[in-house]
Parts: sequence; C-alpha cells; structure tokens
Amino acid sequence: MLCSYNNPAQRRFVIRMWLMAALCVLFSLVAALVFRISHPHGVLAYLVAVLPALPIIGALVYTGIYLGEEKDEFQRNLLVQSLLGGTGGILAVITAWGYMVDFAHAPHMDLVYVYPFFWVFAGISYWIVRARYR
Amino acid sequence: MTCSTNNPATRRYMWRFLATMLFYALFLILAVWVFVHFRPTGVLAWLLALLPGLAIVGQIAVFGMYLAEEKDEFVRNLQIQAMIWGVGATLALTTGWGFLESFVHLRHFDLVLIYPLYCALTGISYGLVRLRYR
Repeated sequence: MLCSYNNPAQRRFVIRMWLMAALCVLFSLVAALVFRISHPHGVLAYLVAVLPALPIIGALVYTGIYLGEEKDEFQRNLLVQSLLGGTGGILAVITAWGYMVDFAHAPHMDLVYVYPFFWVFAGISYWIVRARYR
Repeated sequence: MTCSTNNPATRRYMWRFLATMLFYALFLILAVWVFVHFRPTGVLAWLLALLPGLAIVGQIAVFGMYLAEEKDEFVRNLQIQAMIWGVGATLALTTGWGFLESFVHLRHFDLVLIYPLYCALTGISYGLVRLRYR
C-alpha cells in the first residue's frame, strides 16, 4: 500500500498515522486492562485514562507536520480545505446535537467520538474538494 | 465596530455574524421559553432544540463565506492557520477529556461548549500566528 505513494511527505504521513492508530489501540487496551485488574485511584487513574489520547494528539501533531513538509502546494491546499470542511462539519453537528441533548434529551454522545467524526467530515470534504478540481 | 474596517469582506462578515448572533439569542430564548411553559415532546421538541444549533451552523457558514470572499491572501492564510491550530487543540482537549470521562468518570463536558472552546482556542492561535509574522 505504501508503495503507491511516490510523494515522500505523504508516505511519512501515512506511516506515522498508522503507527499512531496502532498505539491508540494498544494504549486503549492497556488502559482498559489496568482499570479492570487493578482499579487505580487518584493521579495514577488520570494518567492511565489519558494514555489512549496521547497517540491521537500525536496524530494531530503529525498532520500539522505533514502540512509543513508537503512540497506540493495543490495537495497541501486540498488537505487544508478538507480540514476546514471537517472543522465546520463537526462543529455544526456537535453543537446541534448538544442542544438536542440539553433540550430534547437526545441520547448522550461520548466526547471520544468527536475526533473520528472530524475525520469522517474531513474525508467527505476531501472527496468533494477533489471532485471540484476534476 | 463594523465601520472600523475598510475591508468589504470583513465588513460583510461582521454584519452577517451579528445577524447570526441575534438569531442565536432569539432562538435560544424561544426554545427555553417554549420548553419551560409547554414542555413539548416528540418531533416538536427535537425541532425546537435544533433552533439555537441552526444559528451556530449559520455562523460557521458565514465564516466559510468570509474565507471565500477575503481577497487579502495574507489575512486569509492567517485565519486558516489559526483555525487549523484551533481545531487541533479542540480535538486534543475533547479527546483527552473524553477518555477521562470514560475511565475516571470525570464531569461530563457539555457538547454545546465545544464550539465556544474552539472559538477561544482559534482566537488565541490567531494572536500567536500574527506574532510570528511581526
């Protein structure tokens, strides 16, 4: 799969994102196991709980690094527009949902879903933006 | 406030932003009033709950229009950089908080607070990005 990327910045980005995804799964498992087996309290509990968020923060940082490293202005512009579309999409949906939770007692949405939904919206935006340039 | 800028795109944005804020206040007051006095249920409750969220969606759309209309590439680039930093910080914070909610039962972070959080972080980022170009 990686061989399909001729662009070195893109290749690095994809490898780093896969690494962060793997770490996120690993850290989530570790955190779940630690909480199930040893029931930590206090500062340790907070540290273990925040562990799976670290690779996600890493993925965000690597996205920023990719934007800095990408030499192809068109590709960078595509990603920037997709990120902006993703930002607008997630903020719109999350705010509307928030008011429905507060007023109409809609089902509660877990905060950890904000990040994956952001990428779903960014992906849709990427597809739309690319279609515009065809 | 709107008279202090000569940039037509900024001026249009200010007026549109004010209009969406006015709608937001009106819709919020209307939704609260109806829920307090009539306690609606079902589809009507969902539609009423959506109203304040729609004004926020409008605000996001208005900002998108501003970015498209802004002729000054430097200013647009500043705004885009600030937005990307803002969304990165928002996603990092919400994800971290989400895992803390799941594992250590931290107080639930209301979804409607994510948009103001994003705006605050984007504002801080804008100040920092501007500093870099001085």
